[in-house]
Amino acid sequence: MGDTPHLVLSGLAKTYPGADGAAVRGIDLTVERGRILAVLGPSGCGKSTTLRLIAGLVAPTAGRIEVDGRDLTDVPVHRRDMGVVFQSYALFPHLDVARNVAFGLEMRAVGKAEVKRRVGEALELVRLGHLAGRRIAQLSGGQQQRVALARALVVEPSVLLLDEPLSNLDARLRSTMQDEIGRIQRETGITTVFVTHDQQEALSMADSVAVMNEGRIEQTGTPQDIYERPARPFVARFVGRANMVEGTSRGRDGERTLVELPGLGKVPAAGDPVETGRPATVMLRPHRIALAAAAPESGGARGTVLSAAYAGETVAYRVRLGDDGPVLDVERPTGSEASHGPGAEVALSWDPEAPRLVADPS
Amino acid sequence: MTVRRTGRMPWAHRLGRAGWAAVLVALYLFLLAPILVVLVESFDDATYLRFPPQGFTFDAYGQVFANESFRLGIQVSGVTAAVTALLAMIAGVPAALALTRLRFRGRSAIEAAFLSPLLVPHIVLGLALLLILAPIPLTDTYWGLILAHLGVTVPYVVRTVSAALMSADPRAEEAARTLGASGFTAFRRITLPAIRSGLLSGGVIAFLLSFDETVISLFVSGQNTVPLPVAVLQYVEYRSDPSIASLSVLLVLLSVVVVVLVERGLGLRRSLRSG
Repeated sequence: MGDTPHLVLSGLAKTYPGADGAAVRGIDLTVERGRILAVLGPSGCGKSTTLRLIAGLVAPTAGRIEVDGRDLTDVPVHRRDMGVVFQSYALFPHLDVARNVAFGLEMRAVGKAEVKRRVGEALELVRLGHLAGRRIAQLSGGQQQRVALARALVVEPSVLLLDEPLSNLDARLRSTMQDEIGRIQRETGITTVFVTHDQQEALSMADSVAVMNEGRIEQTGTPQDIYERPARPFVARFVGRANMVEGTSRGRDGERTLVELPGLGKVPAAGDPVETGRPATVMLRPHRIALAAAAPESGGARGTVLSAAYAGETVAYRVRLGDDGPVLDVERPTGSEASHGPGAEVALSWDPEAPRLVADPS
Repeated sequence: MTVRRTGRMPWAHRLGRAGWAAVLVALYLFLLAPILVVLVESFDDATYLRFPPQGFTFDAYGQVFANESFRLGIQVSGVTAAVTALLAMIAGVPAALALTRLRFRGRSAIEAAFLSPLLVPHIVLGLALLLILAPIPLTDTYWGLILAHLGVTVPYVVRTVSAALMSADPRAEEAARTLGASGFTAFRRITLPAIRSGLLSGGVIAFLLSFDETVISLFVSGQNTVPLPVAVLQYVEYRSDPSIASLSVLLVLLSVVVVVLVERGLGLRRSLRSG
């Protein structure tokens, strides 16, 4: 488990006939054996097409798909051995739960007794053993999702592909199924790729995350990489909330780059260095900025609270830096500290790791 | 003051409902009265059609089956309708699949072409078919009749099957493919069961329409293959006796029996409504 490349995509591209541009513009991805990769992006970014390319449901315009070093690019969908769970679940409404799960085994001409045993095991895995005889229409959304998982897993595919696995479930069920998919993946140890537009889902479920935008992969990395060290402004904005402040590089300060920011002065920021005098963009996560009532004589960053929105666990502030500087989002936990009303003068501070340089896509 | 609780509706409400019921009954009577007249007349013992009838006998029903042109007509119409329904189903499924699942240039034009036989007057279609079939020559043959009837029945199958396809999840067939089914197996095991009721109700409609088709048949039939409705027309040109009424009753019964059987088993009404 781990560290050996299992699924490898290289230069994979797809242009639909008659479409304006390419849906997928040459992506390279590697998933290690037994790991979970999340492909994260806004709708229309090409993430679902990527999943359909891997499954073999659409043919790529260019590029290769390999599993265990074997080129699958031209292998037709029904011989590709991919387990797919569709967003709509795509269960067979005229078959009961057990027959749905048995379908893949019947296609593989598995003997009756073994079909029965393996269907039973698969249903136990997703904790639906008691519903084997039910009709699909009698199941709840969460149960249908489990049937779809069992149906995909029962044939022991080489890779499990999940298309927006939680998007059709309500909030409470979503977190349950999130844990369930995690448990099932750990128990089966199957290499998994799932597609989502939900950054929380991607960060909490995946071993690595590929952020996609406009048919390209913007950044691939661990959830921590993606969230704390976004390589590009798109990633910073799409994954979590971010203040992006544009300024000018003023040279190095040890490990960091000093960036002159409007209303903030020279701020040391971590990340890939930017040449002195060049424009630089600094990212600051709203929850990493601390606020305090401004003492008259204190230095540092100061600002004026424009608005404060109470949201239960947190208060979301909008703070204008200096007199006419940029406006920052600041998020503070409630209860533990004093709140600040609109118009209040505040001093802003953050730990030195918080500001990150984010390269422009150019 | 105590409030008395009774299970009764307010009188105005009840009057309203009774009024609605009366309107409905009147409407159905208006629609069904001609059939009722025919039904009553079919038991008359006269040798000509009259209303109200004076006697009561089943003789007219016997005469239907004694009449050779009727017997032949039932055979011609039965065979034609069965083959037409079967071929309409075979042709309708791929057409519906293409129209609902594929996107291609001219799709809406083809869709309109499929529905146009429903809009063009049958007398125009009949004349056009006569002009096409006469030189081949296919007029006055089973195949000529079947071809002509296919034009007006395939659109119904395309419609009922399209409706069924539209309510089925196209991803289900893809799921079957990812589980190892070939394209044909995925269609046969997953999509076909999903459209089964739409397909069969389309077939039943095709059968009934073909069995009943008069105007087009009049153009393309001759002396040798005379479908029942044409035989009836030829008969009433010279005679009018209660056996025509009996035959009409039998035809109504055939439709009712077929529709009820299909409705019981398949939900014809549902698949028509979703269309």
